[in-house]
Amino acid sequence: MEHFELTEHTANRPKVYTKMEGLVREMQDPESGVPVRSQKLFLTSIPAAFMGYDLIEWLMERLSIEDSSEAVHLANLLCQSGYFFPVTDNKTLTVKDDSSLYRFQTPYYWPSSAAHGHSPDNLEYAIYLAKRSLRNKQRHGLEDYELEALNNLKKTLQNKWDFVIMQAEEQVRLAKDRKKGDKIVTDSQERAYWRVYRPPPGCLTLEILPLPLAACRLERQQKVAARGKTVADAKKEVQFLQSSSDRTRVKTSVALDSLVQCANTYLEYDPFLTPVQPSNPWHSDDPTFWQINSILVEVPTERRVRRWGLSMEELVSDPTGLQEFTNYLRKEYSHENIRFWTAVNDLRRSSQSQIQNKVKEIYAEFLAAGAPCEVNIDGKTMEKTQSELKTPSRFAFDYASDHVYTLLLKKDCYPRFIRSEHFKALLAAGVQPSHKKRFFNFGGPTKKKTSTSGASNGGANNVNAGTNTQQATTARGSSHDLARGPAATAAVAATAANAASAAAGGDVLTPPTRPHGLPGSLSHTNVTAEMRCETPYR
Amino acid sequence: MNELESLRQEAETLKNTIRDARKAACDTSLVQATSNMEAIGRIQMRTRKTLRGHLAKIYAMHWGSDSSRNLVSASQDGKLIVWDSYTTNKVHAIPLRSSWVMTCAYAPSGSYVACGGLDNICSIYSLKTREGNVRVSRELPGHTGYLSCCRFLDDNQIVTSSGDMSCALWDIETGQQCTSFIGHTGDVMSLSLSPDMRTFVSGACDASAKLWDIREGMCKQTFPGHESDINAVTFFPNGFAFATGSDDATCRLFDIRADQELAMYSHDNIICGITSVAFSKSGRLLLAGYDDFNCNVWDSMKTERAGILAGHDNRVSCLGVTEDGMAVATGSWDSFLRIWN
Repeated sequence: MEHFELTEHTANRPKVYTKMEGLVREMQDPESGVPVRSQKLFLTSIPAAFMGYDLIEWLMERLSIEDSSEAVHLANLLCQSGYFFPVTDNKTLTVKDDSSLYRFQTPYYWPSSAAHGHSPDNLEYAIYLAKRSLRNKQRHGLEDYELEALNNLKKTLQNKWDFVIMQAEEQVRLAKDRKKGDKIVTDSQERAYWRVYRPPPGCLTLEILPLPLAACRLERQQKVAARGKTVADAKKEVQFLQSSSDRTRVKTSVALDSLVQCANTYLEYDPFLTPVQPSNPWHSDDPTFWQINSILVEVPTERRVRRWGLSMEELVSDPTGLQEFTNYLRKEYSHENIRFWTAVNDLRRSSQSQIQNKVKEIYAEFLAAGAPCEVNIDGKTMEKTQSELKTPSRFAFDYASDHVYTLLLKKDCYPRFIRSEHFKALLAAGVQPSHKKRFFNFGGPTKKKTSTSGASNGGANNVNAGTNTQQATTARGSSHDLARGPAATAAVAATAANAASAAAGGDVLTPPTRPHGLPGSLSHTNVTAEMRCETPYR
Repeated sequence: MNELESLRQEAETLKNTIRDARKAACDTSLVQATSNMEAIGRIQMRTRKTLRGHLAKIYAMHWGSDSSRNLVSASQDGKLIVWDSYTTNKVHAIPLRSSWVMTCAYAPSGSYVACGGLDNICSIYSLKTREGNVRVSRELPGHTGYLSCCRFLDDNQIVTSSGDMSCALWDIETGQQCTSFIGHTGDVMSLSLSPDMRTFVSGACDASAKLWDIREGMCKQTFPGHESDINAVTFFPNGFAFATGSDDATCRLFDIRADQELAMYSHDNIICGITSVAFSKSGRLLLAGYDDFNCNVWDSMKTERAGILAGHDNRVSCLGVTEDGMAVATGSWDSFLRIWN
């Protein structure tokens, strides 16, 4: 790798260069490209230049860009990559949509040339700076940062310095023989090249790939290329391709349908597309939304409960949903299934040291003959499980758990739950935050609710006292008055009608009553203790 | 030599068979399937918070999935910072042993963060120690190339992808690699876990994406199509599809059951590569961060651009949508993180 000096700019990213260069070549087309000619600026003639707004207009037409700021953004990217540069401005690499003048960079200095071996190293930079210091001070004099660089290079390259000066003098001598117009152009191109690769302090550098990463990639590519493909590799590939060609594929219409369904169903749950109630905390600085939607709540929002009805995955991935589901199943004397599934999940996530004990416990509680919470699995699954148990691991009960999840929970328990009175009551009692009022005492899981069982008026009176002061505070986040989808609004209206009979009128929040008694304190450990199987349920 | 040649021919024949089979399964296009969908209009997001504190390029960020609004970011100033994005306070500032960090991850429990990079090691940091300070709880050496991405399955298992062309599943407690996922022929740049955590998808510099079974350790499917390095992958919310972002300046949507590309998100005036991708909660929006400092918001169903997040002064190197879908965070080489919605 010695012959190839790897700098930040010789990194391996050909694709973006190919695109940029394709575009730049089109720009340079004498017929259909950007109009380039000698431009008059004050009394001087500036050769081979084009105007900013000609470039922007060309880009907008060629790439069907509607917004000129996008074209300006792209032009700046091309400029900073070194494909053209401002003529009268020596310091920056910005493009403006006006009559300012720019010139194309010669392909010799394009970034991809750098990638192929022509790298902007210190030796070249030194020769360039030395060259300029030998020429007319007014036109070619060095800036402060360049003088500093030259002095530093003199020190680091001191044993080559004679060579540097010799090269510089030679190049200056050769340049004298060229036409003035050409000299102006090539000088400016060389200067622009160094503006990209040795930018003035404080200027933006357009890095493509950081140095060490490029080195790693290059090394690996070279290694892979050197090794070639072995017979073993080829055999493996054929094997894989064989199984791939044997697979059954679902029709794209079916696949697309499920994606569309997902996007449509979850539209109302997507905060980027449907505003949340009562307000989006990121906009309004009011965190109520997060408070009423915390992981474990006493009373979930109506929207949240509705979501549990979308799929069992939605229900069990929400800790509050899982809790409600488990409570329901306990009432039905069939919660061994959900408890088994939960226990197996816990086993899967446990640390190595706990696995042996947990496996024993789970087996004893759920699978052994006559176990206190025996789950109903078929013979084949039990056989598979028994063989797994010979070398117990965190995955020991996966077959059994999958069986319970798919056949028992998903196909039987879940649909029953969704159709049950328990679930309907949850929906009816679900919180429906209004966007107008701000909620105070609606807190987290540890709050004990002051229940006014079924009493509408009592509840309303309690809260009405507060509403007058509430109305005084300006409606926060009220600009998020809702572009809710029609389906969602209809559904809410329907359940709202149900809720209205349970709560007082008006859009003020009344702490709803619980359909069943659940202890007020809902810390996680309490819940799991609560849910353990006890003999009365057998 | 002869055997190699015949195997090569066999491979070519099979590839053609697969190509034909995919075509046969393609009975409609995304455009046709979504022609009846309502348009979503222009998406205009604004920066709600700016997280300042890093002193150099930010290379990676990851949202916590616990109930906090925390996120972790990694920068080449050699620090991992855990932020409370809502208050913009720094919860932890963790100095790293190697400053060449390329990835970071937040454990679902909120108790750990992980990071790694050119040191080839995945380091796990415990955030909730008894003493109250943050310390390295485990180092996972084993990869022979840089660590490009890592994601926790739970507090005890983590999946990593590496420049050594492989991915790995680790048991954090023992520090061992349980499973090795071999198959890519280029640096693996990114990985995304499926919602059910049984599979994951990886994107690599060989321009292909692969679906892996975590338990079995095998590659289930390979998805060709991109023309250059894939830098980012992310699952669609229902787990049946995933999106990729590549140096070829396109994002693409691949379906797992149809085993093929369904859509491409590109425009003539986008010539820069994509560094990071993420879906909104419903999957309708695909957000992608680009090398040209912008982040584009695509309507994934209509394959049209719905909005732009412009505000960074350098490349957008990473982005992520929160678990509840409320906000997107972008991290940039300009050393800032921005929270948008």
